Amino acid sequence: MTSSPDAPPAVDLHDVRKIYGTGPDPVAALDGVSLRIDPGEFVAITGTSGSGKSTLMHLVGCLDTPTSGRVSVAGEDVSTAGSDRLARLRNRSIGFVFQAFNLLPRLDVQRNIELPLVYAGVSAAERRRRAAAAAAQVNLTDRLTHRPSQLSGGQCQRVAVARALVNDPALILADEPTGNLDSANGADVLRLLATLHAAGRTIVLVTHDPAVAARAARVVELSDGRVIKDAAT
Amino acid sequence: MNWLSGMLIGLQEIREHKFRSFLTMLGVILGVASLLAMFALTAGIAASWRNTMEQLGGLERIGISDKQVSLEFADLAALSPGRTLADAEALRGIPHLVSHVAPEMQAGATLSASDGATVSARVTGTWPDNFTVSQHAMAAGRFLTDLDLQRGARVVVLGDAKVAELWPDEHGTDAEFLGRTITINGRPFAVVGILALYEREQDRLRREAAARGDKPPARLAMGGGRGGGRRDMFSWKNESVIVPLTTMYHEFRSGQADTPPLAMAKLDYLNFRVRDLTRFDETLAEVEKLLRGTRRGVDDYDFDTREDWFERMETSLRSTQLSGALIAGISLLVGGIGIANIMLASISQRVRELGVRLAVGARRRDVFLQILAESTAIGIIGGLLGLGAGVVLLELLGNLAPLESPPVIEPSAVLISVGFASAVGVLSGLYPAWRASRLDPIAALRYE
Ligand SMILES: Nc1ncnc2c1ncn2[C@@H]1O[C@H](COP(=O)(O)OP(=O)(O)OP(=O)(O)O)[C@@H](O)[C@H]1O
Ligand SMILES: [Mg+2]
Repeated sequence: MTSSPDAPPAVDLHDVRKIYGTGPDPVAALDGVSLRIDPGEFVAITGTSGSGKSTLMHLVGCLDTPTSGRVSVAGEDVSTAGSDRLARLRNRSIGFVFQAFNLLPRLDVQRNIELPLVYAGVSAAERRRRAAAAAAQVNLTDRLTHRPSQLSGGQCQRVAVARALVNDPALILADEPTGNLDSANGADVLRLLATLHAAGRTIVLVTHDPAVAARAARVVELSDGRVIKDAAT
Repeated sequence: MNWLSGMLIGLQEIREHKFRSFLTMLGVILGVASLLAMFALTAGIAASWRNTMEQLGGLERIGISDKQVSLEFADLAALSPGRTLADAEALRGIPHLVSHVAPEMQAGATLSASDGATVSARVTGTWPDNFTVSQHAMAAGRFLTDLDLQRGARVVVLGDAKVAELWPDEHGTDAEFLGRTITINGRPFAVVGILALYEREQDRLRREAAARGDKPPARLAMGGGRGGGRRDMFSWKNESVIVPLTTMYHEFRSGQADTPPLAMAKLDYLNFRVRDLTRFDETLAEVEKLLRGTRRGVDDYDFDTREDWFERMETSLRSTQLSGALIAGISLLVGGIGIANIMLASISQRVRELGVRLAVGARRRDVFLQILAESTAIGIIGGLLGLGAGVVLLELLGNLAPLESPPVIEPSAVLISVGFASAVGVLSGLYPAWRASRLDPIAALRYE
């Protein structure tokens, strides 16, 4: 994927610090991270447990704000944004896939996929149409009326992917999306992400698995809250 | 995310936890039920009082009574002739304010029907206007006429209960008694009219049900077809024995040595009817002016208005309402605390759900609205169930003990009750909703 040089970076971190705890020994989950991801890139983030990968994803995903430094998403500075603006960015510009699926157990597949559209103020009929289209993309058209408890782990994660893409966001973040899946289902989800990347979306994927990381064009490795390696594969 | 979709989520949540939600609603249900029952009971009492009052002559009926002359004017008291027919004639002079005037003379007498019984009674001599002033109604025949009055005719109008006393063994129609002759203190009088049976609305309904052959509830069953023998606020009307005032005077009052002429004869009662209630005070003032003339300036009269009665009734109703409202208020308060409590428990069970909603773009106010809508839905559903419970409660009350006045459920009472329940739902959801809206998305997503 090529990107025009004058388009703003999809993600731009500048000397970002995230300190947890204000007590005697605060933890610097991120300790001066600078990172730029261009539109259309497929980046894998790796690193040992506790190195700050999830923290990074939360900042990029507008779920949290940094202690210091600057975070821009799609050219918008979100380091100091209020909660409503962050919510709007999460809703319109970002799709998040979690390791733990995070589906709502009492809603059926259709309604789970629709969820972001509800908060985007989309009409019920349009929501249904777009949820069906997203379900088709992840091959779950025949499961729309099922609840998550009636699905396999792989199917759940595909629902989560459908939910992440239903609002047509430019940026899709996946924090160890294959962590709870067997290799076949994991491969399925990765294939989906690759398809989304091929369709022009920016993908940032956190993984422990070098084989998974190898599918990305660029791998960023964190250690103790710092970027220790940033290379194209 | 709007209020409606918040409600829908709330309704689904309630459906998922039916029993828990029901327990939560219990306080509201009881509160609304008692609120509704209280409104219905007091409205029923008010309605039957109003009905009674109408039958007794309404607010328009005013009596002129005697008053003790104050001490400093005691030596003047003898100047006033007191309540006489002159007063009544004077009142007739202001027909634009006073529509009807009914002077009354009364005397104890013995009534006897040759084909029936001999009973004692209080005989009233009055004017034809008495019909309107006392809000009489005829069951058969006619009331007194001006001609009766002019001629001093020996005619009598009997109350329903008196007919039952005079002819205890006859159960025919009222018309059968017309034209019969009875004697009053030995003098013959023709029965020209029978008054309707006066009774409270609920007594009438029961009596009619019994007449149709419906089995009346055992406790409510009461004596025979006629209303004879029962004592209530209508007794004085049902036991009427009414003759023309002139007849009364000539037959039973005059002939004694010191009897004053008719115009100066003392009256036992003097009632009149205000033509226009909106000119009530003006009418009283005008009547007072007239009375000052007939009484030669002596302040020995007073007005009996039903206003005092009405006020007493309103006060007692209000205190009943207040105590009912207190009980209902406490139930609703407890209900509100219950809702708040369950909502707090419910959000801590759903932290993760709320985290997901936040992660996909819910704003804090969306979460706030969702929780508030849910507690409001609980309040409204509780309110509606409470209405049902209230109706059942009233039914039970009516079955356990016969109610003096049948309860009346007014639409406003329904609205107020459900309105209160909804308000309780909203208020009790505020704090939980605020708590939920303060959740940190990341912490919420990590929550186990
Ligand atoms: N809410 C928090 N409060 C305090 N410390 C935190 C908090 N969240 C994360 N940390 C700390 O920040 C550091 C980075 O955590 P993070 O979750 O980003 O690691 P990670 O790379 O995602 O690890 P893993 O691979 O195990 O998921 C860890 O040392 C962690 O203990
Ligand atoms: Mg992590």
